Amino acid sequence: MSENARRGAARTSALIPLAVAAALLTGCSTAGPDAPPVDFGSTAGAPAPATATAAPARFAAPERVLVPAVGLDARIRPVGVTADGAVAVPADPGRAGWYRFGPEPGSARGSAVLVGHVDGETGALGEFAALYDVRPGDRVEVRRTGAEPVVYRVVSRTTVSKDDLPSSVFRRTGAPVLTLVTCAPPFVPERGGYQANLVVTARPLEA
Amino acid sequence: MVSRTSLTIATAAGACALALGVTVTPAAADSDDKAMVSVFHGVPGLTVDVYANGDELLGDFKPGTVTDPQPLDAGTYDIQVFEAGKGPEGEPAIEKKIEVPAGANATVAAHLSADGTPQLTAFVNDVSKVDAGKARLTVRHVAAAPAVDVRAGGQPVFKGLENPKEQLTEVEAGSVSADVVAAGTDTVVIGPADLDLKEGTGNVVYAWGSAEDKNLALATQTFGGMETTPQAVHAGGNGAAVSANSSGEWMAWAAAGGTVALSLLVARRFSGRRV
Repeated sequence: MSENARRGAARTSALIPLAVAAALLTGCSTAGPDAPPVDFGSTAGAPAPATATAAPARFAAPERVLVPAVGLDARIRPVGVTADGAVAVPADPGRAGWYRFGPEPGSARGSAVLVGHVDGETGALGEFAALYDVRPGDRVEVRRTGAEPVVYRVVSRTTVSKDDLPSSVFRRTGAPVLTLVTCAPPFVPERGGYQANLVVTARPLEA
Repeated sequence: MVSRTSLTIATAAGACALALGVTVTPAAADSDDKAMVSVFHGVPGLTVDVYANGDELLGDFKPGTVTDPQPLDAGTYDIQVFEAGKGPEGEPAIEKKIEVPAGANATVAAHLSADGTPQLTAFVNDVSKVDAGKARLTVRHVAAAPAVDVRAGGQPVFKGLENPKEQLTEVEAGSVSADVVAAGTDTVVIGPADLDLKEGTGNVVYAWGSAEDKNLALATQTFGGMETTPQAVHAGGNGAAVSANSSGEWMAWAAAGGTVALSLLVARRFSGRRV
């Protein structure tokens, strides 16, 4: 059984009693229904400097992002900012947006940012909802126009208040990473919906 | 801070960056602080040497070019512009005392006045941050020409700009086709020229030359490092991702397991992971 299928099954039924036990053991049952996915890895501290040996990569537009282990597969379009200065996340939850003012996936430096809705206004789950299930080491592939795909490995996942999204997510210098951002609980309709961002960081796969 | 200077000439001339001599000292130093200073040459047909307090600052400086910003001690400089090779003993083509305040980022422009007389004007460059997705556009009228309007994509951006004034604004980053028209008219006097206004940059466009001599042109000076990050990422919809599994199957599990639905909802989030 493939990794994807195995985890898919886990999500629906097979491991529920076990998962309940795990939740109780880790004390997470007190967090309530709106608990975000658990954090892992570390994104703290200053980014390591980009390696001097990195060849100047030629720009190639990202067109599709895949995380096979969790079944994430979304087409990408470049996005900018809205009138109120937020990232213009594609309305279609099946789509991902690449923040075009920052580095592109495959760039030799900085954080290439992909954003996607966790769910849509009509109730459809977004492709990026699958980020709730990623684990350290999961492979992330970004296919590009006119260039080889770039491959990353997930190293961390953190949930932060939307108001406290670190500016380092959008850094344009330092070691290259891919940063995937979606929304996370708590969900408070009277306060505009989701109150947090889920931030998944992935590092380039060593060649 | 300023990371680079680039030059785009709509009509002619090659890009040329000259380093300012850093040995020049001000006549009266205000403090130990430095200012970042660049020099723009906008007097047509005259290759010049630029002296500051009697020392050569720039040699063989060609019209339509701008230097990279260089640190200079703050203070007052006696700036003299000579026809190339004629200084510093002869009569300068232009001479002016320029105040360089500490911490400032300034461009000294040698250019024609509205009536065609060579003169020097010091402009302070706004290198403050811009909003995400934006670029700063500044236009400086340093040409021997009457007041102008500046249009981008056919829309007026600046109106009634006179020599030697500037106007500036923040615009959406991207490529725009800009032209310069006689104020209040559709009579194009320069352009159109494509301006690549990169996000997080400051772009200073000099309208220079002489209307009478039909050599009006644009030159661009670019400042980087003014970008900021977006305000937020709103990537949620109606809450389906937190409530999708709260009915049906999950309620059945809750009943079967004798566990409250809340725990199961939490469990759902762990069910896809190693336990």
